[in-house]
Amino acid sequence: MNSFTRYIVDFAYFLKTSNRYQKRRRFFFNVLENDEYYYKKYFDIFMMLLIFSSVSTLIYGVKNDVPEALDAFNSYIISFIFFVEYIFRLWISSSVSKVIIHQDEYSDLLGRDFDMVFVIKRVFHDKLQYVLSPKAIIDFLAIMPFFHELRLLRVFILFRVFKLFRYTRSFQTFSSVLVSKRFEFFTLGMFASIVIFVSSVLIYMMEATNPASPIDTLYEAFYWSIVTISTVGYGDVVAVSPEGQFVAILVIFAGIAVLAFTTSLFVSAFTEKIEDIKESKTIQDIMKLNQIYLICGYENIAKEVAKKLLRDNLNVVVIDSLPERIENAKRDSLNALHYNPGSMESYKKLNINLSTQVKAILCLQEDDVANVYTALTVRSIDKDVKIMSLLMNKVHRNKLTNSGVNEILYDKEFVGLIAREYVGQPVAFEAIYTIRSEYTNIIMHEIVVTERISQTISTLKELQNVKYRVVLLGLYKKKNKRFFFNPIESTLLETGDYLLVIGNYMFIKEFAKFLSTK
Amino acid sequence: MNISSALVFGNNEYGQEIAKNVTHKYSSITIFSLEDIDKDDNSAFKLEQFDLSEDWDELNEQYDMDSSIIFCAINEEAKNIFLTISLRSSFKDITIIALAKNNEDANKLKMAGASKVIPIVETTANIITDMLKKPIITEVLHNILYEESRLKIIQVTLSSVDAFTGLYPAEIDWSKKYGVLVLTIVHEDDSHEFIYSSKTKHNYLKSGDVLIVAGYEEDLQNFKHSIGGE
Repeated sequence: MNSFTRYIVDFAYFLKTSNRYQKRRRFFFNVLENDEYYYKKYFDIFMMLLIFSSVSTLIYGVKNDVPEALDAFNSYIISFIFFVEYIFRLWISSSVSKVIIHQDEYSDLLGRDFDMVFVIKRVFHDKLQYVLSPKAIIDFLAIMPFFHELRLLRVFILFRVFKLFRYTRSFQTFSSVLVSKRFEFFTLGMFASIVIFVSSVLIYMMEATNPASPIDTLYEAFYWSIVTISTVGYGDVVAVSPEGQFVAILVIFAGIAVLAFTTSLFVSAFTEKIEDIKESKTIQDIMKLNQIYLICGYENIAKEVAKKLLRDNLNVVVIDSLPERIENAKRDSLNALHYNPGSMESYKKLNINLSTQVKAILCLQEDDVANVYTALTVRSIDKDVKIMSLLMNKVHRNKLTNSGVNEILYDKEFVGLIAREYVGQPVAFEAIYTIRSEYTNIIMHEIVVTERISQTISTLKELQNVKYRVVLLGLYKKKNKRFFFNPIESTLLETGDYLLVIGNYMFIKEFAKFLSTK
Repeated sequence: MNISSALVFGNNEYGQEIAKNVTHKYSSITIFSLEDIDKDDNSAFKLEQFDLSEDWDELNEQYDMDSSIIFCAINEEAKNIFLTISLRSSFKDITIIALAKNNEDANKLKMAGASKVIPIVETTANIITDMLKKPIITEVLHNILYEESRLKIIQVTLSSVDAFTGLYPAEIDWSKKYGVLVLTIVHEDDSHEFIYSSKTKHNYLKSGDVLIVAGYEEDLQNFKHSIGGE
C-alpha cells in the first residue's frame, strides 16, 4: 500500500470514528431524508416556499417585467440553495469512507493489496446510481434556471414544482400507490400506444388524400387519435369520409375501454393501499404522543379500561393480533394497530420509545399464555417500563411475576375482596363505592404538592380546605412513602408530597387552583 | 340453629375467592356446584351439588336463612340469572350478591332480585384505571378497606343526636373533636350525602342517620362511645 493509499484509508477510518463528523452527517441525513425527524418539516416548508415563489415569479414574468432584484433572487439565490441541497443529498446518498474501510478489511482478510481502482469504481457507481434516480434528476433540472440567460433553461423553473414530491408526504404516498401498479399501467400504456399508432396511420391513409378532410399530415392524424381515444373529442379535427368515420368508431370504443381500465386501476391501487396508508398515518400520530397507555389485547376488560382512560383525555394505543378487535377499537375512536403484542417486530414498527413515551403497558389479553409472552417481549426491549397484566388463572401468577410484570390484576381476587368488604360494612362499602365510581360529583383526588405550593404554603394549617368544602383525607409523604391519615395542622408540606382529598370535583378544582396560584 | 352461613353458588375461581374472603364473618360456608363433585377435591369448604330445578325451600332445613347470605357466581350468565330469580322467589329478605360479566347482565340480575351486583368487567376496569390515574389513593384505600390496617372506614348509626343539637354536620370539627373524618351521611331513605354538600349544610342530623367515618380503630371506638352510636 503506497503512502497516498495509506493516507486515504487512514482518513476513512478517522471519519468513521469522528463523532463530530458522524453527528453532522446524521444531522443532514435527518433534515433531508428522515421523515420522523422533528425539524425536517420546517426545512420542507422552507423549500416549498422557495418553489412557490419561484413559480409565481415565472408566471408573473410572462406578461410583466419582473423586478431585477426578484429575478436575481429567483435565478441565483434559489438556484444556489437548491444546488447546496443537491450537493448535501449527493453526500449523504452513500458513504465513501464505508466503501474504503470495507475494501481495506476485505484486502486484509484475503492478504491482497488494497484495490484503489475498485474503490473508485464502487464510489462512482453508488453516486451515479443516485444521480440517475428520478428525484435527483428533478433536483438537478431545478438548478438549471441559474443559467437563465439561456432562455430555454427558464422553463426548467417548472421542474422545481416536481421537487414538491420530495417535501410532501401525500405526493409520495400517491406515487408509491401508482408504482405498486406499474405493470398494469405499462400494459395499458402499451395497448393505448398501439391503438393510437394504428388509428393514426389508418386515419391518415383514409383522410389525407380527401380535400374536404382537415387531416392533412401524419401529425394531425396523431392529434386526432389522441383526442378521440381520450374521449375528449374537441371536434376541431374530424374524419369526413365513411372509412375514416368507421375508424373513428373503433377508436371511440377502444377509448372507452382505456378510460374504464385506467379508472379501475387507480381505484384498485388505492383500495389495496388504503390500509397501509391508514396504518402509516396512525403510526405518525402515535409517534407524536407522550405518556402513552399501550393496551395489548382489546377484549372486554381492555375495552372498559380504554373507555375510562379516553374519557380523561389520556393517550391510549391499542395493539391486537385479531383484525376484528382492532376494528372495534377504531370504532371506539382509539389509535389501534393490527400488530401482534407478543412480537418484537410490532414495537419496532410502532417506533416509540418505551422508556420515555410510554406511561404503562397493559397486558389485558384474557389469556395468561399470551400475557406472559407479551410481558417477556416488552421486558426484553425495555427493563424499566411499567407493565400491568391480567391474570386469568391464579396458578400462573408466578409466571407473570417472573416475566417482569410490575402489577398483576387478578379479577377473582378483586371480587373476593369486594365481597369481603361488602359483608363486613355494607353501608360504608356503598358510600366508598359511590365516591370512587365518579358517577356522582363527589370524587377522591390526589393533588401533588409542587415547588410553588410548598413555597407559599408551609403547613397544613394554611390549606383552607374546609373553606373550599374539601375533606383532607391525609398526606402522602413521597420521601418516606408513608401515608399520614388526618394529619395535624402543624405538619409541614414538602415538594413531591400528595394531598389526598375528597369533595365535589368543582370545589376540588377550585381548591387546586387556589393552591397553585396563592 | 342460629348459625350464620354463606352459600356460594358456583364452584369456580370466583366462588373460591368469595368463600375465602368471607370466612371471618360466617361460621359456615358451603359452595354449591352445578357439576359433579370430585370426591378427591381438596377444597377447604363444604361442597354440595345442586341443579337449577331444585326446590330451594329445602335449604331452610339445613341453614338458618335469616342470618345467611347468598352469592350467585355461576360462570354462565343465563343460569346465574335463573338461579338468582329462583332463590329470590323462595327467600324474600335474604341478601343475594350476584356476579355479572357486564352492565347488561348486571341490570338483569338486579331485576331478578339480587341485592347487590358486582359487574366483573367494569369493577376490574375501574380498579385498573384507578391504579393508573390515582395510584396513591388506590393504595391507601386498598390498605384501609382490604388489608390488615389500624385505619378503618366504618358506619355508625346515630341512636341519639343530643351531642349535635343546634349544629349542622359541616360545622362540627370532627377531626379536632374526635380524631376522625366523617365522609358521608346515609339517611334513612338510603340516600348518600357528602359531609360538605349543600344539603348537609342546611340539615341537622337525625337519629337513625348513618355516618360513614374514617379513622384509627381506637379513635373510632371512642367516637362511637362519645356519640352513643351503634
